Amino acid sequence: MSDPAAKPGTEAPAAPGSAGTAAAAPGPGTEPAAAAAPARILVVDDEYGVRSAVAQILELEGYEVASAASGEEALALLASPGFDIALLDYRLPDTDGLALHKDILATGRQIMTCMITAYADIDLACAATFQGIDFFLPKPFMPDDLLNVVATLVKRRQARAEEERLRREHEASLLALAEEKSQTHSLISSLRDAVLVINQTGDVVLANQAMTALLESTEPEVLRRPVAGLLRGGPLASLIDTLESPAKDRTIGQLSIGERDFMTSIVTFRAEDGSALGRILTLSDISQVRRLAMEKEKFIRTMVHELKSPLGAVRSIIEVTTDKSMGDDLEAYLPLLRRAETRIDDLVQLISDLLSLSKSEQAKAASEPQLLEVAPLVEAALAGQAEHLAARGITASVQVEPGLPPVLAPIEDLELILNNLAGNAVKYNRVGGSVTISARHEGEWVRIDVEDTGIGIAAENVDQVFTEFFREKRPETKGLEGSGLGLSIVKRLTERAGGRLQLASGLGEGSVFSVFLPA
Amino acid sequence: MSDPANGHGSADSGPWTMLFVDDDTDFLAAQEAFFGSRGHKVVTADSSADALEILEALNPDIVFLDLMMERYDSGFRLAHELRKREHLKDVPFVMLSGVARETGERFDQEGKGLLSWTKLDRFVDKPATGRQLLAVAEELLS
Repeated sequence: MSDPAAKPGTEAPAAPGSAGTAAAAPGPGTEPAAAAAPARILVVDDEYGVRSAVAQILELEGYEVASAASGEEALALLASPGFDIALLDYRLPDTDGLALHKDILATGRQIMTCMITAYADIDLACAATFQGIDFFLPKPFMPDDLLNVVATLVKRRQARAEEERLRREHEASLLALAEEKSQTHSLISSLRDAVLVINQTGDVVLANQAMTALLESTEPEVLRRPVAGLLRGGPLASLIDTLESPAKDRTIGQLSIGERDFMTSIVTFRAEDGSALGRILTLSDISQVRRLAMEKEKFIRTMVHELKSPLGAVRSIIEVTTDKSMGDDLEAYLPLLRRAETRIDDLVQLISDLLSLSKSEQAKAASEPQLLEVAPLVEAALAGQAEHLAARGITASVQVEPGLPPVLAPIEDLELILNNLAGNAVKYNRVGGSVTISARHEGEWVRIDVEDTGIGIAAENVDQVFTEFFREKRPETKGLEGSGLGLSIVKRLTERAGGRLQLASGLGEGSVFSVFLPA
Repeated sequence: MSDPANGHGSADSGPWTMLFVDDDTDFLAAQEAFFGSRGHKVVTADSSADALEILEALNPDIVFLDLMMERYDSGFRLAHELRKREHLKDVPFVMLSGVARETGERFDQEGKGLLSWTKLDRFVDKPATGRQLLAVAEELLS
């Protein structure tokens, strides 16, 4: 090209645009030193003289310089990162400065560009500026002009990098904030507890799904409404006073809505300077916990009664004996003392049943389930009742379907199930009655029926017989001892083995307990 | 008041007509022997219904009631029912319970002031001995 090389001493017209301010920048040479690493500059000019002169000037100031004689060469160099500034000649053998600038933009590299040309005119300057070229330096120029321009570009690049860094940081924190907000929102929304947040003026700013369900409303309907107006006349009306002017920063209470019991908590949250920002109302449903607590309490009350009653009877019988209430003849006391023996045996049985019940409440049996043949276990259960069967003239029979598949259960659990049911079938039978245990395959199940010809169970008690300590009090059950835990244990063990228990009975019609176990 | 039948009774006790209501027939049998031997007339009922029926025609000096029979609060219900009867208005009622003293106030849930309107004179913890009950009877009937 015909551009003369930069010649010191020739005219140095002010560059258009902001070139004038470049001259006001701090002395050249200070900028690269200020940066952590020297700026890397690419000089693109087809004239060797210009390239080497420019490189020399810049290298003397501590810049790192690379040079290219064509657009293609320039783009090849720019393929590797690290350039801060590109000085582009307008006239190039394979392209022009504007087109090359476009190509550089297309690489996505953040590079400051300055166009250097002898063909400086206002149209080119405008085109370059609109295209985003950062500086325009007409040839010829003085070395100081070049250094000023480069120093300005270095400074601007640092400013732009800083700006970019801040923008990214800001964007990231906005994103994080938005994400946190939506996480918090969905977290609060999905809480089982009902949550209502009001601001310092008493308007609702947040209500989660559980809360709007309690208020039989929707979030848009409650948001920004004054809390007093929202709650008045509703199930939470009694909380209005505390929400508006609580005596303490944290108030805990209880509230019943319909059949549900709630624990209420009203907490004032404050800014760092101590001023109240608003309040959070939380309602936790404690119905289930309370119901379990009451059940447990009832269980313990009954258990204490069941343990103390026989002790009381035995204690009284011993007292009568030591008191010699019935004279000196021991014979007179024998009926009572035999009763005492029975009561103690029953007490021991009760304690062992309590232990079985406690074990049946564990999620897992003590031993692993195994494949069990039903027939021998049924026979064994009836054999255990032989004495009682004989004493009361009750006949027992077993009917097991040929080819019955084994059941999967822990052996001691199935033994306990069958022993309990066989025991009941004998105990609540009539003299001369019968007990039939049959087993057959039904779909995925092995069904074991324990059938008796006894006193049966009243229809209204059929569900209750599985409740701990429940025993039907009827003339027929008088004198029949039992812990009232047997069927609770049977039911729990059956269900733990993956099966279910079914009862068909009627007053005076005998009972059929059906155990379904996975085949 | 001064005629102990067999020398067990103390000088100023009885003979009384005593009603024991308890679903534990062994306990009843023992009380029958213990108090009967002391010259008292012992009547027993093993259910609330039984007690209501017996008391149609009985004027006891003292009634011992078990709390937990058909229900966990049978004793309260029975006492409340019996207090309505004119001839039982001032008869001492003694409640026997394994758990009543500790949990007594909880029965309030069944009805306000249940404890007071049953007008119980005494709670005795189970298991109670004949001697304990004798001491209570002597105190309440003196």
